[in-house]
Amino acid sequence: MALPLESPPAIEVLFFGGRDPSPGPNRPKEWSRNLSCERWDAVAGSHRYPGEIKPPPPRGGYVERFTMVCREPMLRPGLRSPLDGALLGALQTSTVALVDAAASLRPDLAGSTWLVEVFVPSPPVAAKLAFATKNALMGRGLSVSDRTPLLAAGDVEVLTRMPPDEAYPAACARYFATGSLSNSDALLAVVSRDPRETIVHAGICVAGTWTWLR
Amino acid sequence: MSCYRAGVRDAASLETAVPHPLPRLPVPALVVGIALACPGCLVRVYQPLSALHHPVVVDPQLPNLTDTDLDLRCLRGKLLSNHEAGVLCDKLSTLFENQGALVRTARGAEVPEGGAAPPELESRTELTVELRARETDESKHPLSWVLFVGTFTLVPGVLEQSFAQDVVIRDESGFLLMSDTLEGRLVQRYGFGPWFGTTILDLTRKKLDRLGKNSASRDLSDDLYGQLSQQVFNAKMRAQVLRQASPIGRTE
Repeated sequence: MALPLESPPAIEVLFFGGRDPSPGPNRPKEWSRNLSCERWDAVAGSHRYPGEIKPPPPRGGYVERFTMVCREPMLRPGLRSPLDGALLGALQTSTVALVDAAASLRPDLAGSTWLVEVFVPSPPVAAKLAFATKNALMGRGLSVSDRTPLLAAGDVEVLTRMPPDEAYPAACARYFATGSLSNSDALLAVVSRDPRETIVHAGICVAGTWTWLR
Repeated sequence: MSCYRAGVRDAASLETAVPHPLPRLPVPALVVGIALACPGCLVRVYQPLSALHHPVVVDPQLPNLTDTDLDLRCLRGKLLSNHEAGVLCDKLSTLFENQGALVRTARGAEVPEGGAAPPELESRTELTVELRARETDESKHPLSWVLFVGTFTLVPGVLEQSFAQDVVIRDESGFLLMSDTLEGRLVQRYGFGPWFGTTILDLTRKKLDRLGKNSASRDLSDDLYGQLSQQVFNAKMRAQVLRQASPIGRTE
């Protein structure tokens, strides 16, 4: 939801701090921090938000007016963990970038059926990432399956004890060996390798061979 | 119209009739006097605009960058002088060294006009962090300064500056790992009125919510250091993955 907020030079803004989004007497720092703001001049702003931002007078004004357009967060701050917030904040851009990398580095897989598996600490975030990644794959015209490749409990027990550099190639080999993935399948795995990072990586598993993409 | 003139004449005659107890001072001198009497009457507030307030997971006080070779380039330009770029580089160098990185700083290079890429380094280490600061907007709010003078600094005179800090991180082959722009805004309110009001209100606020003294610098530094720590850590992880993806040197 766009929330256009006019800032100085209007006198009521200067004196009473009415609608300026910067911290002030009646605007706590926390409230101000949670806004995402853009600054628009009168000409560009009135085109982008007609009716909400006034265009400049035909003969120009005595003072230059600008408007800060701020967006409030969808969820109450603190509701999500910082990691979840960072991953979901870049959901669209990160998943599209991963799919772009996969499609451009492996154009030979255009005819394959793509499966998506996500490895991040939070299951709800994993579900959202998987959905967004499948959506981005379909956006590129690739065929996507909702099937989830499975491993035996013994395999999982061994793999979870291995470091990531070895675990993902080993898991890929097991998927293929157990028939969970066929020759016509390509598994795109979205991976968070360290709980301190706020980006996700991607790897492809094709015919039992694992390749890191990004 | 005539009444108004008569009023003015009356006031003038009264003024000459009654002797002033104090020597007469012109109004501008009075304003300057008040301004000089309160030289620290400035409230500076900081507002992150984009990316500076993104969530940070990494703790800058922990050894996140152990054994990472880091080249730090702070480019001078219109917003940062050579000295200021050097101070920024020194502080960031300490920040990354505290996290276990081996930091080499390169300063003095100038931001080229038109946003072109700065001159290439002769040799690169594991990660090269390039920082360039630029002013995106500046407003002086002339109306506010008229009121500032007219109300004897009770109404603030406002100066506003928006800035952007471009961050580019490359690996040893020059491959682009991360690139981001951190944007923020600094609003400076001059005058006795805002200073007094903020000082009084700060007495009722929690320490983290206070707006006076150096809170703007502190908040900006916290945000900038947090974001840069996170970006460098993310770049380090991406470099590790790309090294496994292709052990042969890449070019952008």
